[in-house]
Amino acid sequence: METSQIEIQLIAIVTAVACALPGVFLVLRRMTLMSDAISHAILPGIVIAFFLTESLSSPLLILAAAGTGVLTVVFVELLQRTKLVKADAAIGLTFPALFSIGVILISRFAGNVHLDMDAVLLGELAYAPLNKLQAFGYDDLGPVSLYVMGMILVLNLVFILVFYKELKLVTFDASLAAALGFAPTVIHYGLMTLVSVTTVGAFDAVGSILVVALIAGPPVTAYLMTDRLSRMLMLSALIGSVNAVSGYWVAFLFDVSIAGSIATMTLLIFGFVFLVVPNRGLIAIARRHARQKWEFAQTMLVIHLFNHEGLPEAEAESAIDGLHEHLSWDPGFTNQVVRYALNNRCVSRKETQLILTAHGRTIAQKTLVQ
Amino acid sequence: MSYGTSNEWFPYYEQAFSAGTFSYRTGNELPDYEQAFSDNGVLGMQASEQKAIQVTDLTVAYQDKPVLWDIDLDVPPGVLLAIVGPNGAGKTTLVKAILGLVRPAAGNVLIYDKPYEAQRRIVGYVPQRGSVDWDFPTSVLDVVTMGCYGALGWIRRPGRRERELAMQALEKVGMEAYTTRQISQLSGGQQQRVFLARALVQDATVYLMDEPFQGVDATTERAIVTLLQELRADGKTVVVVHHDLQTVTDYFDWVMLLNIRRIASGPVDEAFTSDNLRETYGGRLGFMKTDKSDV
Repeated sequence: METSQIEIQLIAIVTAVACALPGVFLVLRRMTLMSDAISHAILPGIVIAFFLTESLSSPLLILAAAGTGVLTVVFVELLQRTKLVKADAAIGLTFPALFSIGVILISRFAGNVHLDMDAVLLGELAYAPLNKLQAFGYDDLGPVSLYVMGMILVLNLVFILVFYKELKLVTFDASLAAALGFAPTVIHYGLMTLVSVTTVGAFDAVGSILVVALIAGPPVTAYLMTDRLSRMLMLSALIGSVNAVSGYWVAFLFDVSIAGSIATMTLLIFGFVFLVVPNRGLIAIARRHARQKWEFAQTMLVIHLFNHEGLPEAEAESAIDGLHEHLSWDPGFTNQVVRYALNNRCVSRKETQLILTAHGRTIAQKTLVQ
Repeated sequence: MSYGTSNEWFPYYEQAFSAGTFSYRTGNELPDYEQAFSDNGVLGMQASEQKAIQVTDLTVAYQDKPVLWDIDLDVPPGVLLAIVGPNGAGKTTLVKAILGLVRPAAGNVLIYDKPYEAQRRIVGYVPQRGSVDWDFPTSVLDVVTMGCYGALGWIRRPGRRERELAMQALEKVGMEAYTTRQISQLSGGQQQRVFLARALVQDATVYLMDEPFQGVDATTERAIVTLLQELRADGKTVVVVHHDLQTVTDYFDWVMLLNIRRIASGPVDEAFTSDNLRETYGGRLGFMKTDKSDV
């Protein structure tokens, strides 16, 4: 591997982890859409700061964009508070308005400056290592974006570690948090500021659209895998890193956009986990349903046998060949149920008759008592 | 309570009177307050008496639509008080206003003579069960430990001591076997007990509970009532938003009848009268659905 390859992967990992950590709280607060809004609405902030500084890597850019991000949240909440506009519609109104201001500013004033719409929207990770940090007489201290994202990651980590208890309480039960004196609004805007800063930092790497995949993808994947918040945070970071590295190599092999590949891997890995995860996965659910179906059919069978046991009509009711007629079941299905019940030793075969075992009788009695 | 499972609609008056619901209590658990109340209904004459909760002239409005009009309420220490009233009467809003969660348009709330902000530590709150997301990735013990957060203050993390307190609270509500369960795996009654345990951990002096009996089975309801009465026996003040008029006389010793404005408040014997009920529920009372019909 060349140095630049390692650098690109490092930037991708750091960006993914930095996005995944606040993403956990956005997902739990059902605010993933807000990150989408912020990621678009920061554009005018970036553009205006760019006009002022004429540089794409100035810290002012991040601050201005973060400010616009928080402003987006404020606008959305003000609209919501009027009760005339619902939350989703408020988001849908606010961010295109701000985003379009950014687009107009670029097309009107930045036609001949280097502020590429594609770079803003899609990012270009492949070029990130070209922009080296130069300081203290050294001209190559590593890529600038690695430092920027590294600092944002540290900021996110510190915020979440220090205010873990408060974030958890505010996210789970905001009214108790308020009653106990933990200002939910302060925590809320703190988190929104973090999301804004992270988003603007990440737009360099993956662009302002795909950053949503980094914020939402790993947490929803982790949410399927655990039921502890701390583990969800760690798993999100891990999944984010796996997405980043696998996405990079997919892009390398197929010679396609790195950001696009990372977002695609995010979805693929989510889909995989969604299918196979124990208990909550689609496959586990399907198997549970199938098992319940057979269990229920078996219960119907033993109750049928139990009800007619020892009565004059028992012989007719429990004849194996006649079962499907009495129960109005498909003969094939009846055979399978009989086999299932025989395997579970709920019934046994006595010549042409199906008779209950002690175990089967208990099942029937228990079910009927319930 | 089991809304939707019963189709029986009981005319309330008949039920109440034939069942002798309004029998006067013979016990004298709280002679002072009953004395104080029967002597006068006039504000100010009880000034020497310390109040656990004192609400004066409280008006709460959402936008410009009033939800509570000029509420006065004195809750003496050591009572178990039910706030009852029809849907939309402002019961939850009153509790939230006492906790400073909604800003009043007018009026004032004092907890033991001080504003709520100064008394957070001595007030325990049980929100409505439906107010949180039970799919949140956390365990029973973790939720109960949240009751300690107020005492811990900002940043400090709960440790072994807090977990022990949480365990003790879980034992009190009979949920010690569920500590590591994910909270979505609990039944409604179990969730309610977890919320109660979380409030018990606060070791408060005044408890405010928003419909703790909502969606719980008869066994859990009895367990919760026993717990509330133990709290009162320990000298705590417990205010409960309650829905079921049938059980007011059995469970509570004080009652507040609320419908946007205060209709009445005081010891159950005196305030829970048919006249006051008719005034609170208006015509709707005749169609009141009883929850007990299917228990």
